[in-house]
Amino acid sequence: MKEFLLTIDRRIIFIFVALGVIIPSLATVRLPIPITEDVKAIYDTIEEVSAKNGTILISFDYGPGSMPEVQPMALAVLRHCFRKNVKVIGMSHWPTAVGLAQEAFDIASKEFGAQYGEDYTYLGYKPGGGSLVINMGRNFHDAFQKDLQGSNTTELPITKNINGLANFDYVICLAAGNTPDGIWIPFGQERYKFKFGLGCTAVMAPDQYPYLQSGQMNGMMGGLAGAAEYETLIETSGKAIAGMGAQSFVHLIIIAFIILGNVMYFLYGRQKGGAQ
Amino acid sequence: MSRDQIFFIVFFVVFVAINIYLFGSGSLSADWTGFGIFIAAGITLSLYSFLYKDNPLFKFAENLYVGVAAAYTLTQVWYTVLLADVVIPFSELDSESMSNLWLIVPSLLGLFMLTQLSSAKFSWLSRIAFAFVVGLGAGLAIPRTIAANVLAQLEPSMRPITATWEGLDLLIILVGVVTVLVYFFYSVEHTGPVGVASKIGIWFLMISFGASFGYTIMARLSLLIGRVGFLLEDWLVLPLPYF
Repeated sequence: MKEFLLTIDRRIIFIFVALGVIIPSLATVRLPIPITEDVKAIYDTIEEVSAKNGTILISFDYGPGSMPEVQPMALAVLRHCFRKNVKVIGMSHWPTAVGLAQEAFDIASKEFGAQYGEDYTYLGYKPGGGSLVINMGRNFHDAFQKDLQGSNTTELPITKNINGLANFDYVICLAAGNTPDGIWIPFGQERYKFKFGLGCTAVMAPDQYPYLQSGQMNGMMGGLAGAAEYETLIETSGKAIAGMGAQSFVHLIIIAFIILGNVMYFLYGRQKGGAQ
Repeated sequence: MSRDQIFFIVFFVVFVAINIYLFGSGSLSADWTGFGIFIAAGITLSLYSFLYKDNPLFKFAENLYVGVAAAYTLTQVWYTVLLADVVIPFSELDSESMSNLWLIVPSLLGLFMLTQLSSAKFSWLSRIAFAFVVGLGAGLAIPRTIAANVLAQLEPSMRPITATWEGLDLLIILVGVVTVLVYFFYSVEHTGPVGVASKIGIWFLMISFGASFGYTIMARLSLLIGRVGFLLEDWLVLPLPYF
């Protein structure tokens, strides 16, 4: 038994993790989801934008590899905006986000009857990174002359009065890479001083907290937990809330294995001169 | 036949049998949507088969993903950038409307970059394009990065510390910044007060690494939950209460 515990096959741990995901997914137990201030700040800002019938920009900067974490955020934010009649303009720094963003717009707009061109539009992918953001700040219609469907941005009701980034009431970046701290904050927020919020993968979240503390962004959704909090705020049960039971259950399994590994190490591993 | 070969043959047979049942019972529709789910489930399981052992199914799925992602990116770049911003504006040039003529400059620079792949006779042209990109990139990035990532980050570390919870947060941040900087200051021997500060800095770094690792586990599990949700709900059509 001692030898078995000191040399557990990693595939046994994988089986435990798989069961930890599958069983809670089939069960009907739901854990409470407390709301953090950082997520509430994004919700509150969209409520403020709604009060003045404003327009927000969402930058979809992710891909299929981060879809389970970020797509629920996109859907939750879009549902909130369309429910509150907030106009949404979408764009992407990542080409792999185009299909996912379009899908999110299609789902949310159908649910709330949002009209293309009046309530929302999606501009698609454009390369350039920082220089694109600077160009958007100086002359929005020059940076994006047409949206993804080929309509002129100078003619669409939702975009014709947008001259630059400063005209947006809020900018949200949904990211799986370096676009918030590498593009949006240095080239956009610092220069044009718009309100900026972030939804990002959990891997990115620790590196983004300094920007929250400095006020360069006013809110942040980190990973599936952040998406679940937003779904809770808008009282819509989506994929993020559904995944939180499994998330918590597997975390307990991993903590148990970490404790077991350390106990075995301190009991026996040290006698053999190190970790086994 | 080895144990691994038997394992993968059984896996393949079970996968085919499940799909025959799903299509036969009407759980998966016999159209492109059903076919797409069948393919996606097969590729998902092939990729996760790596957890057992590296195998040809995993290699196939991995290479397929790289190829599909590259092709998808290329089509996006072609339709939204090259076609929309280069080809169409050039095709609309005529004697009356010459406003898009400036596009020749970036287009030529882009073509110069491709000469890197040619013989030495022409490859020197790529240096012009790279010099432009490096010069522009540095000019844009250096002032913006210093303003956003250094100066704007210094300001909150220097706020007055008060006897409140916010003040305690600021004190912790201040101690963290100073001690971690001391840890990375190698010009002085880490003994005495400097050694103490350096050790505190190590603790801050370790806590930071732990938080990053915890978040990384959460991220990877989220991806697993997403795929398991797809397999259970979309492929096996099981009634999941919350998905």
